[in-house]
Amino acid sequence: MEKIRIALAGNPNVGKSTLFNSLTGMRQHVGNWPGKTVEYKEGTFNYDEYEIEVIDLPGNYSLTAYSMEEIVSRDYIVDEHPDVIVNIVEAANLERNLYLTVQMMELGANLVLALNMNKAADEKGFKIDVDKLSQLLGIPVVRIEAVDDTGREELLKSILEVSKSPNNVIDRVEYGSEIDEHIEQLEKLVKEDISEVDAPSSWTALKLLEDDSEVVEKIRESGRGQRVLSEAKKIRGHLNNIFGDDADAAITDARYGFIAGLIQESVKKPKIDKVTRSDLIDRIVTHKYWGIPIFLLIMWITFQITFTIGAPFQDLIDAGMGMLGDAVSAGLGEGFLTSFLVDGLIGGVGGVIVFIPPIFLLFFLLALLEDSGYLARAAFVMDRFMHKTIGLHGKSFIPMILGFGCAVPGIMATRTLENERDRFLTMLIVPFMSCSARLPVYTLIIAAFFVAYQGTVLFSLYLLGIVVAVIIAAIFKNTIFKGKSAPFVMELPPYRRPTLKGSLIHMWERGVLFLRKMGTIILGVSILIWALSSLPIGVEYASQDSVTGQIGTTIAPVFAPLGFGEWQAAVAVFYGFLAKEVVVSTFGILYGVGEEASDEPDPSEEASSGEAPTEEASAEPASGEEVAAQEASGEEAAPEEEAAPEEEEEVAPEEDQGFISAIQGLFTPLSAYAFLVFVLLYIPCLATLAAIKRETNSWRWPAFSAAYTFVVAYIVSFIVYQGGSLLGFA
Amino acid sequence: MMTLAMGNKDEELKVLQIRHEEKFKKRLSDMGIYKDAQVKIVKNDIPGPLIVDIKGSRLILGRGQAQKIMVEGV
Repeated sequence: MEKIRIALAGNPNVGKSTLFNSLTGMRQHVGNWPGKTVEYKEGTFNYDEYEIEVIDLPGNYSLTAYSMEEIVSRDYIVDEHPDVIVNIVEAANLERNLYLTVQMMELGANLVLALNMNKAADEKGFKIDVDKLSQLLGIPVVRIEAVDDTGREELLKSILEVSKSPNNVIDRVEYGSEIDEHIEQLEKLVKEDISEVDAPSSWTALKLLEDDSEVVEKIRESGRGQRVLSEAKKIRGHLNNIFGDDADAAITDARYGFIAGLIQESVKKPKIDKVTRSDLIDRIVTHKYWGIPIFLLIMWITFQITFTIGAPFQDLIDAGMGMLGDAVSAGLGEGFLTSFLVDGLIGGVGGVIVFIPPIFLLFFLLALLEDSGYLARAAFVMDRFMHKTIGLHGKSFIPMILGFGCAVPGIMATRTLENERDRFLTMLIVPFMSCSARLPVYTLIIAAFFVAYQGTVLFSLYLLGIVVAVIIAAIFKNTIFKGKSAPFVMELPPYRRPTLKGSLIHMWERGVLFLRKMGTIILGVSILIWALSSLPIGVEYASQDSVTGQIGTTIAPVFAPLGFGEWQAAVAVFYGFLAKEVVVSTFGILYGVGEEASDEPDPSEEASSGEAPTEEASAEPASGEEVAAQEASGEEAAPEEEAAPEEEEEVAPEEDQGFISAIQGLFTPLSAYAFLVFVLLYIPCLATLAAIKRETNSWRWPAFSAAYTFVVAYIVSFIVYQGGSLLGFA
Repeated sequence: MMTLAMGNKDEELKVLQIRHEEKFKKRLSDMGIYKDAQVKIVKNDIPGPLIVDIKGSRLILGRGQAQKIMVEGV
């Protein structure tokens, strides 16, 4: 089978990813450009005896040397010579979109123009003469609808055609006689002196007139470009005098002029601007006063859906885990292996697997918000607020919202911020957004202490995360990140109906990171914790004498002022830095059921006698216990009959009555809340720190992030606990 | 001559001068805001960023940035 390599290029938000997904389906993977933090997606598909390899270039407006994405794109075109480049353009926004097309023509790319979203353009009243446009540009132009395969066949045929007989449009663009003349003049010198530079000579000449830093640097390195460079400088000065402006501004003007000419001949624009549905929605959604309440409402609905729809699926997995644990215990009897499987694996990983449904649901909903174009509106609406309070602009808000799903994609999304200061600052506060990995911890503690105030407690934590992020950002903005923030410009794409497939793929891309984390970090850590809890040999499992117990005992005094100075809580926080879900895993392992079940009543007895909780406190756990007990017995009715009455049934942690009461013994409601606050704010998980390291290319930032968040978490928890105690809470 | 930030909703304006540093000027021109380009104001609520229409695409532009773009009525 013959191979063809194609690349997809285009402005952001023109449906590039949609086309990529529809062409390659799930046969795709994400990678990084060598040595760069810029991502690419690659996939393959078969068509008519050909194996077609597709690479999705970053969404760009231009091919200047000003951003990494643009440099990566043009290097790819120059160095890798893809057989065909499919340039996707939005039909209703042709004029601006063609600016990139023109630059790829200059670069000698073998292009096919895919005109996307024709229906929307028709509705607006645009009439595009495709044949005329194709003729003027000298490249095939195909109408497609990326969302529904319209024009797909024709597009693929065009791709095959031009891969066999490449179109040559490098001289097609006209810049006006004055500039054209000088390009030719310089091109001659380029050919004579530095023919080995691997790019079309006319492009090199053009870039020199634009004073492109990358190209100038490359030529300087070649060592033989003195004549070319000095000539280029002379011409730039000359053009400057003629146009009364920089040469590159004149060239930009010329490009847009060339495009305007094309458009004039091939596109009939609507006479009067029709008010589109997009505009009507925007009147409400971006409204001066309604904008922010609407945004809050949308976020509230998002979380409501996540929790309510996710819950039945969680119960299902819960029950499955319970049965699995019972089956293992029943099948293997007591012993080392059972302890490993039931305490270590099911207790550790199982407690976290339960959260897959809400986590994936949240990713899906965030993908819907993003793909529909709403997040760009949220950025607009929040800019006013962000600008005033923390000096970041609205664009920084998108990574923060994504952080509610998981901090890692949030941190990766900071790439859209041009200014390094803004980017680093955003990275430092994204981890305060309460990600879905914290959910298991909240749910467990809420089940043990705050059943009656479930919604309020959960909401207060999300809110606290945001408030702390705002305060910290304001502090940093006036200290280590002093200075002006980057100028703010971003496109406001029209609303699109997100496709199910697109959003599912989007969800999967992020969700799969989670699954991988469960299979690797959490599994590994669970085994490690189980082992450390079983060592040294002969020690009672998960007792204070085990290694885990010793670690906990050693560091526990640090957390005593925060109200959770028991070694179990301390060690959960300690392990939890690897991944926040591990806090639950740790409790699951420490209080894991099976033969050690007899340990459990101890701490709760201790608590009721020693720490003397208030009436309110003891009443609440009771109701929580009741609920948990009912649920547990309901689900576990059948297995329980098999198991010996003394033996605890194995159910997922937050449903396990014994487990819940063990947690109740560990905290008072106040210290439990302080614990939640600490878990929310303290050191970002390992995956997040690794992402920060990748994005900043230095260990300094993740180290700083870990250190300062610990301090912040400590202070806030301290205030919560000590302040709460003073106010008479327990 | 006035700044873009002074424009009213639905007003069509022509860009005369962009008083930004090179890099941002370039970014603006890539997105369609350059000398002689026509801009229409879609939204201009004070405070907060503007929404402008350029050749059929919508851009969000920070208020501070709009204050450095000189325009005149068409």
